Amino acid sequence: MALDRKRKRGAEVIVQKNPTVFEEEPNRMDAEDDASAGSGHLSSGAEESDGEMQVEQEEEDISGKPVTTSTPHTTRRPPTALELRDIKDATDLYRSSSFKLQIDALLPNARPKYKHSPPLDRFLAALHGCLNSIPTVEPRHPLEASKALLKKGIAVPYISPLPTPETNWKVGFEKPSEILLVGSWPNKLSVKAQDKQPFTVDLAVEMPSTLLQEKDYLNSRFFQKRAYFLSVIAAAITNKKKGINADAYFTSPSGDPRQICLTVRPNSGSDDDLTKLNAEVRIIPTMGSTSPIPIQRLSPSRANIRTTSAGETAATELPTPLYNNTLHLSTTPKAQLLRSHTLKNLVPSYADGLTLLRIWANQRGYGRGSKLCIKGFESNGAFWTGVMDLLISGEDTSVASSSKSAKRKPLGKGLSSYQLFRAALDFLARHDFARERIFVKSETVHKFAPEEYPSNSPVFVDSTGVNLLASIPIGSLDTLQYDAKLTLDILNEDLTAQDPFREAFLKDHRDLQTRFDVVMRVDLSSAKLRVSSTHSTLDYGSLYDTLLGTLLSSLRKALGNRAKAVACLHHPCEENLLLETDPTHSPTIYIGLILEVEHAFRLVDHGPTADDPDPQAATRFRDFWGDKAELRRFKDGSITESVVWDVQTSDDRTKIPYYICTHILGLHCGIPGSDIQHWQDPFDATLRLPEDVTSVYRAAKAEAGFKAAMTAFDGLVKSVKALDDELPLAVVNISPITDVLRYTSVFTPTAITASSFTSLPRCAHYLQPMDVIVEFEKSGRWPDDLRGIQKVKLAMFERLATKLMESSPGLRATVVVGDPIATSDIMDTASLEIVTPQGWAFSARIWHDRELKLLDTSIDDRPHIPPHIKKKLPGGPDPKVVRASLEAKEVYVRRFLHAPRHHRAVAALCHRYTAYAGTVRLVKRWLASHWVLQKYVSVEASEILCAAVFLGSAKMGTSQPYVASAPGTKERGFAKVVQLLKDWQWQNGIFVPLYGEREGDTAELPKNDLPASGKEGVWRLSTELDPDGYMWTRDAPDAVIARRIQTIASATWSCLQNMERGSLDVTTMFAHPAKQYDFIIELNPALLPRYYQNIHVNPSVWARKGKYANVVDQDKDNHSTVQPGYDPAWRLFNDLSRVYKDTFMLFYDPLGGARFGGVWDPRLKEPRPFKILGKFSAIPAAKEAAKDKTMVVLNKEAILCEIERFGAGLVTGITQCI
Amino acid sequence: MSTSTTISGFTPLRVTYSSSSTHIIYVRAHSGPSKKGKEAAFPEGRTLFLANVPPDATERELVLLFKSAGTVEMVIFNGDEEELGSVEEENSDEGESCEDDGEEIEEEVEEDSHPRKKRRTGKGAAKLTAPQVVLLPPRPARTFRKTGSTAHVIFTDASSIPRALAPSKKDRSWPSDPESPLGLAHYAALHASLRPPLDIVRAHADSWMELFDYEEAKKKKQGKYRKGEAIVDDDGFTLVTRGGAYGQTVGGGVGVASKQFQQEVRRGGGAARHRKKKEPAEKETFYAFQIHEKKRNDLIELKKKWEEDKAKVEKLKSSRTFKPY
Repeated sequence: MALDRKRKRGAEVIVQKNPTVFEEEPNRMDAEDDASAGSGHLSSGAEESDGEMQVEQEEEDISGKPVTTSTPHTTRRPPTALELRDIKDATDLYRSSSFKLQIDALLPNARPKYKHSPPLDRFLAALHGCLNSIPTVEPRHPLEASKALLKKGIAVPYISPLPTPETNWKVGFEKPSEILLVGSWPNKLSVKAQDKQPFTVDLAVEMPSTLLQEKDYLNSRFFQKRAYFLSVIAAAITNKKKGINADAYFTSPSGDPRQICLTVRPNSGSDDDLTKLNAEVRIIPTMGSTSPIPIQRLSPSRANIRTTSAGETAATELPTPLYNNTLHLSTTPKAQLLRSHTLKNLVPSYADGLTLLRIWANQRGYGRGSKLCIKGFESNGAFWTGVMDLLISGEDTSVASSSKSAKRKPLGKGLSSYQLFRAALDFLARHDFARERIFVKSETVHKFAPEEYPSNSPVFVDSTGVNLLASIPIGSLDTLQYDAKLTLDILNEDLTAQDPFREAFLKDHRDLQTRFDVVMRVDLSSAKLRVSSTHSTLDYGSLYDTLLGTLLSSLRKALGNRAKAVACLHHPCEENLLLETDPTHSPTIYIGLILEVEHAFRLVDHGPTADDPDPQAATRFRDFWGDKAELRRFKDGSITESVVWDVQTSDDRTKIPYYICTHILGLHCGIPGSDIQHWQDPFDATLRLPEDVTSVYRAAKAEAGFKAAMTAFDGLVKSVKALDDELPLAVVNISPITDVLRYTSVFTPTAITASSFTSLPRCAHYLQPMDVIVEFEKSGRWPDDLRGIQKVKLAMFERLATKLMESSPGLRATVVVGDPIATSDIMDTASLEIVTPQGWAFSARIWHDRELKLLDTSIDDRPHIPPHIKKKLPGGPDPKVVRASLEAKEVYVRRFLHAPRHHRAVAALCHRYTAYAGTVRLVKRWLASHWVLQKYVSVEASEILCAAVFLGSAKMGTSQPYVASAPGTKERGFAKVVQLLKDWQWQNGIFVPLYGEREGDTAELPKNDLPASGKEGVWRLSTELDPDGYMWTRDAPDAVIARRIQTIASATWSCLQNMERGSLDVTTMFAHPAKQYDFIIELNPALLPRYYQNIHVNPSVWARKGKYANVVDQDKDNHSTVQPGYDPAWRLFNDLSRVYKDTFMLFYDPLGGARFGGVWDPRLKEPRPFKILGKFSAIPAAKEAAKDKTMVVLNKEAILCEIERFGAGLVTGITQCI
Repeated sequence: MSTSTTISGFTPLRVTYSSSSTHIIYVRAHSGPSKKGKEAAFPEGRTLFLANVPPDATERELVLLFKSAGTVEMVIFNGDEEELGSVEEENSDEGESCEDDGEEIEEEVEEDSHPRKKRRTGKGAAKLTAPQVVLLPPRPARTFRKTGSTAHVIFTDASSIPRALAPSKKDRSWPSDPESPLGLAHYAALHASLRPPLDIVRAHADSWMELFDYEEAKKKKQGKYRKGEAIVDDDGFTLVTRGGAYGQTVGGGVGVASKQFQQEVRRGGGAARHRKKKEPAEKETFYAFQIHEKKRNDLIELKKKWEEDKAKVEKLKSSRTFKPY
């Protein structure tokens, strides 16, 4: 005991050793928390930052000592002060401790391995020597100079307008005045690019000021000289004798020919081989600070390109902001390097934070990669450092800004990398790039006043004074903002939700199909600007950039608030051989729209009113919209210029953004509609019925559409409620439980009237009955017996049917007694089939709440006795009865308790997210076309899965906020569901906040208590009302099917990725390969009432066979009235799957499939000993195979023969695939 | 291949479906039942036990198949119960799946449960005239059983068994019953039969309820519960069970604890209801060492969690998860 006490004392001493740490720690953390927690108040730590630093320093001093003396630690020992500090840091400064550890694990993988750098150092030394030894070239006429270089195999990449013989300036070469490593490499801030693209090591080569003249800022003269300077270097490097062993290419990182650089890659095999490091050297000619070009001339408001003849005054010239900025950029590399070095030393986690930000950006296509990247961000590393600089230094308060918003204050210097990253995202997500301008605080005063910058371009002036965003389209910045918002949302979510680390850093988000609501592939080869001016071309630097600039700004203007972001994606410029001059742009670009769903499908765009004070406004509007603009008078009396998009169907309506884009591209850029590829139409086509059938519907004036179906349902409810007096019990409630009445059935429902029925071909006779549940008022007169209840239901149905037929003429009502398969007499099987005079079919069931209680009693009549005692007691309910009751209860709970709630939730979701219904329909169609819907993936399960994509899988509070990442079109929703299915680890389950209800409401629903071992489904789709998650996936898909669906999803996903190559063929995603089945059962399509729904329908099936048009079809069967729900193929499919459950698995497309595919159970391949209940049809194995006589094998031929017998008349043949 | 050999005591009976495919039914004479009371159902000596019966076989088809052996009295399928009994039956590999009790077999024979009711009442209360249940129209005769199920065929004469088991030179061909169609016709008939005329539905439901009421009344008469009388068993104990009015026992007299109370007791919260929030006997932070101990344990806990996280990330790292691209 005493010893024990002593040991405790010892422990005490350790704890008390450095009390300061414990005292200080919490306070400090609190301060940090304040600075970081509310992302809106990021700047609060400004004043305290110095103090914080000191505290931290002190701590390091104090806690530094225990480290050296620390004993080997075990988990039973309390953590040392240093460890404690690490732990505290990780939990307080990061999202969570594991988040910190994950970041630590991630960072080294994204950085170059500097241990491989010796060859690079050697190579750079060689390059340095080579550059310094280049002989001087005397100034001479540019054309002459280029001719001389052409002999060495180099074409000087002069800018257009190319120099002419009349040119009066000269180009030359002198030894560079300074050679400096710049960019991220020397500061060890490099981040790996996507798709194994090499690291670039930037080498700034300063042009000696003697080569330049004061007036070189005019008319691209500097750039011409720069191009020549670079060409001479290129010639020296590639020189066989004197040069170094390396390949050199001209590259233009941002596609701007003015910013051309020389990329040098040592040949593989030489001792300077950089393949291991995966790096290349980029030589950037720069302009030194002593150059004669006056910086004042580079103000964005100055006009430095003279397009007019020399006689006119400069006042009429338009400013050339882009040109000036590009010129200015030639001076900055060194300054940027120094700045980032300062920051790196100033803020310890600067490098890590920047790396995180760049990984994040790279994963979203804001950087180099072999896939598409966002226009403007191909090579804009300086922007990311600029953003970090802004966060750390804050905005320049001295610059007067037009907006009175508070300036960004500098953040504390002790922030962790994660906090810096979050702050950066916060800035990107909140900053309005289109309106507000940013001037990063710097030691020097900003050279140009904010007023000088053009109003229509984003401005982000970094500490060196250049605008880093000058050439970036605003649409790209919108996309950036949207992405930052999404990531912030994910990071803000609960810890229990999906892995935020993976979402933020590890997942590739560049796929077009899941990223953008509308994707268009535009071929620019025939594009021609309607209004083209030489001035803007010169300002932009190339025709391509001018075209894109105009195209994007007009698209953005035309779409207005319909789109959150209009992004332009393209493949970055290829590198040029030294003999080609112009950078080659890929002729196709992709335009991706992220829609603002509220406004995107608006039919009318209003322009200026007729009595607008500005007379030019109307003209401008008409000019912008072309012949689409009309002067219209609206209901409210206003007369405005407007653009009206007329649509015929709801499919058309979802295409409005696309229509706008085609119109604008055609009008302003001369791009014909045929050059714009878009993928909605083929998707729409998969949800449409064949024209032959719809024309019959139209001719019969049959009601069609979801709205009509719901009206019909309302009518039914009304007519049933009207019968209250004539029924023994009043109807309290009728609730629908069918996807037809919640917008999510694959096909729009259509009524089949008596007249249309006769003219429809036999393979289009199917009429989907809509399931509804009738709830009567409570009454004590129901029998207290399960069998009795089912019989009373029959009586109620009979009464209801009789009365309904009396009250509404033309209505047909039939009682359906029981289920074709189930023989249990306590299960709810009966239903009432109603066909309205308009041709809608309903199938009603009665919900009696006492049933549940009775079932519970028959499952367990003594619930108060604990199970372990009950086991020993004699008696107890008959196991057979228990089993039947369990089954009946499962059906009951699913049908009467969960289905109506599910229906309401899904219907609400359809209203909230316009794209949801379409997504579900596409996904269902897709699942059906791959033969797994209904049998293996229930309709409800697919709806929940789709909801997961819209709602996110996070646990939300009582009110569901609108999820920003929710898809705006069904195509994107579909792609996201496919992605989910591809990546989903179904072992982990998924939570979908489908109901958005409070926790309290959820307890009331009873669970199914079928034994858990009996369940075969592996998909766990939990919702608030179904925490177990197996309500709709109890029996299927099992592991085999789930894996299969995953495989199909991956195949579909890779098919969707063809979008990037423009070769996406939508129909292939819905084509099911039948080769993988062991046998295929072919059905006679002409006899299938649902064949018309087949995805690859063949119209010749219902084409008139006989010679004479007036001969009545002989096999037109005897039934002349519509038979709702009559689908023999589905029945046959179910019978076969039930009978041969243990022999083979059967697959079928419930939407009009004409084939079954079967796969033998692999366990039956081997001969096995004979058993009486072997559960398969066996035949004695061949003699040689079995010494033992009792071995038997599967009798495949006989089984196939039986199948043919089962489907006599329907089955036309069975093919076995080997 | 000769079929004379037996497999686990069964004689394989080859039945040709078509020129290319042959189905095997495994046949054996029915041997004595393991339980008593079965003799009536399967008379020994003239019952044949079949395994692997074609899933769509009807009684008539089996009768036709064994016509050459003799007259068949009855065919009893027991495949449908296999889902339930599979556990037990797998234990007894002998395959004496005739263990199902008699009632169930009746059900199989008659397809529908209603006639059974009728018969039972006929037996039980012969003196009162029980109401007759109007039957719903019968389903199509075909019932699809799971593949590989078993059946008993009872011949009228014991001499038929050896004849049926005798190896035949020629394979028998599967007879098909024209009266119960298959395929499309079957499904059409099924669809129609599930939708009987309304008057039959009504008559069925009404008559069934009449019978139900009748039986209820009868049960009530036989029951030992009388209103106002406590139920006392032979030993003199009074039965206390819920069911009477106003929280009293079924017979009346004694009060019964409310359901809510019982549930609370079951949850173990009964005690808490009476003694509210008892102070823990020992103060946990009384001595200074306790406080330190607690602090120390907290820290150790913290460290443990940290180590766990570390291990987790280390594991992820080894699976190369942290390669961003």
